[in-house]
Amino acid sequence: MRLKINPLTRVEGHGGIYVEIKGKEVKDIRFEIYEGSRFFESIIKGFKYPIVPDIMRRICAICTASHSMASIRALEDALKVDISEQTELLRDLLIHGEMIESHALHVYVLSLPDYLGFPSIVEMAEKHPKEVKGALQLKKAGNMVHVALSGREVHGMNERVGGFSKIPDERELQKILEEMKKVREFAVLAVEIFSTFDIPEFPKSENLMVAVEPEEAFGYYGNRISNSENDRWEVHKYREKLKERVVEYSRAKHVFYDERPFMVGALSRISLFGNRLRGEARELYRENEDKIDESNSLTINLAQAIELVHCVERCIELLETLISREVEKEGLPKIETFESHGIACVEAPRGTLIHSYKLDEEGRVVEADVITPTAMNAANIEKDLRISALRLMEDEELERKLQLIPRAYDPCISCATHLIVKRS
Amino acid sequence: MKPKIGILGFTGCAGCQLMILNLEDELLDIFKRIKLVSFQMASSEMKDEKLDIAFVEGSITTEEQKKELEKIRKKSKILVAIGNCATLGGVQALSNGIKSSREMMKEVYGGEFWRLMDSKPLSEFVEVDFELFGCPIEKQEFLEMIRFLLRGFIPLKRDYPVCLECKLKDNECILLEKRICLGPLTVAGCGARCPSLGLECLGCRGVIEGEARLESAIKIFEDAGVSAEDVKKIFRIFSANYPDILEVKS
Repeated sequence: MRLKINPLTRVEGHGGIYVEIKGKEVKDIRFEIYEGSRFFESIIKGFKYPIVPDIMRRICAICTASHSMASIRALEDALKVDISEQTELLRDLLIHGEMIESHALHVYVLSLPDYLGFPSIVEMAEKHPKEVKGALQLKKAGNMVHVALSGREVHGMNERVGGFSKIPDERELQKILEEMKKVREFAVLAVEIFSTFDIPEFPKSENLMVAVEPEEAFGYYGNRISNSENDRWEVHKYREKLKERVVEYSRAKHVFYDERPFMVGALSRISLFGNRLRGEARELYRENEDKIDESNSLTINLAQAIELVHCVERCIELLETLISREVEKEGLPKIETFESHGIACVEAPRGTLIHSYKLDEEGRVVEADVITPTAMNAANIEKDLRISALRLMEDEELERKLQLIPRAYDPCISCATHLIVKRS
Repeated sequence: MKPKIGILGFTGCAGCQLMILNLEDELLDIFKRIKLVSFQMASSEMKDEKLDIAFVEGSITTEEQKKELEKIRKKSKILVAIGNCATLGGVQALSNGIKSSREMMKEVYGGEFWRLMDSKPLSEFVEVDFELFGCPIEKQEFLEMIRFLLRGFIPLKRDYPVCLECKLKDNECILLEKRICLGPLTVAGCGARCPSLGLECLGCRGVIEGEARLESAIKIFEDAGVSAEDVKKIFRIFSANYPDILEVKS
């Protein structure tokens, strides 16, 4: 039997699943990507560093700020740029806002319809107005952070190498603070909803978890990557740890750790660093610890819901800090260019994202490398699909159920097809 | 009868579809007034039926996409290209005319595993009834446009530059600082977002048709001490398919 699911819906970009079953054996399984390649690492060559984030953030719409921050931090690493404490706070706020926007979209708009039996939130809105309205309000609160700090919801431009071009004023921050306090209940509601579902266990299998080690508490920036086998390494050594392989049917390369597939994203973060959570997020994590099953990728949604609560709480905390210390106008620092190489990682909503740039003495890119979370997850998605196809072979709903897997990972196919420069 | 709408996408970042989903306050109201036949990003239902309006995002980079686009054109009364990829080819067109996708594929993958064409806008292959510019599109412009379209009208095109909106905002002119701002060449509609933040306009909305003169712009920038090559490099980011730029190759 051959099964082709194309296109996958309610994911960002164009992908599909191909399954070939012969007798009692899964002969072939593929997580396919049809999106045209966009050659970002090639087209960026020759551009001077200040404009690099403006092009690289176009790799992805949903995680535009993550690409922005990964490229900016890599360039700052290369050019030895120090940033102010205020910039750090604002950047932390930006990444948490992005997480809210992205998770609200994924948990409520893309995943929940599966569990409640609707094709989309449009049909869901009539019967579940509270959830749909809450989802949109939550998403909007995340977007308010994007607009105030970055300049617009998608592909903002205000965050720069060295800091921010225009510092948002206190009134704007106050407005976001009020909104965050209002939407907090909808983040909690997401945990309540997903903790009551009977999550199917067909993809259950061992997962190797990988995530950026947060600098302090629970968060999304850091310079070190950790995994569930207690291996930790500086992001500068990512090439030694993470190996890429060309997969001909897929426009995303697959990435392996020690020849094995691994998982990045909310479930990895929560299972590696969940004990660092604080506040209500911590309570909800403790209450649901037994339901968050790191061997079952379908519990990713619950992990995202807990992160939603963390993000709203963290945004409130950051906004209160920024308002109480009074935001100051700051110019961008003067930056000297020289021949250099910089690497940085950040946790994007879908997982670990790495950017690396080599610059010439004028600060122009001579070589670039980007590894996206979806490229990292691709091999793990196939692992889950294979085991599920084996278990669901006789199931009448095989097609619908298999689709749940890639959707749970929230793949970002545009991200995956940015194309990776081959190394000799 | 509610109009049947499709929201579809080709090569790009899906950011313009996302901008539609970002209309949090208006979304449910819009969905009440239309029959959404397909919205791949947000719905698992895909129906192959005739459309009153197709909103298409993304550029065309493969033969299959070209055929798919032709199919969409045939079944749609009105076809609207949304965003920089669909209207001008997107950032992925940056290497058009400089390096072929075949060369690039060999360079980066070590072989040609699938066929790609130069990234081109929709209008290269089919008739497009209206274009919404920007990377990404502006939410307000989308709302404005949909109001027109639902009443059976095609909106008018904007034919004035970002500078006009920038002046209305009382911003200091970035060109005076001798920085490359593409505002004078670029179609307005964004409220001069970048210059209002003290940043150069990168021209993500594309050049004003028949109005913009790249050659004379380059002269102005050269007088300000910026090399023609640097100006063209910036200009190419969002307008690599613009004929002027392909002629004045650096």
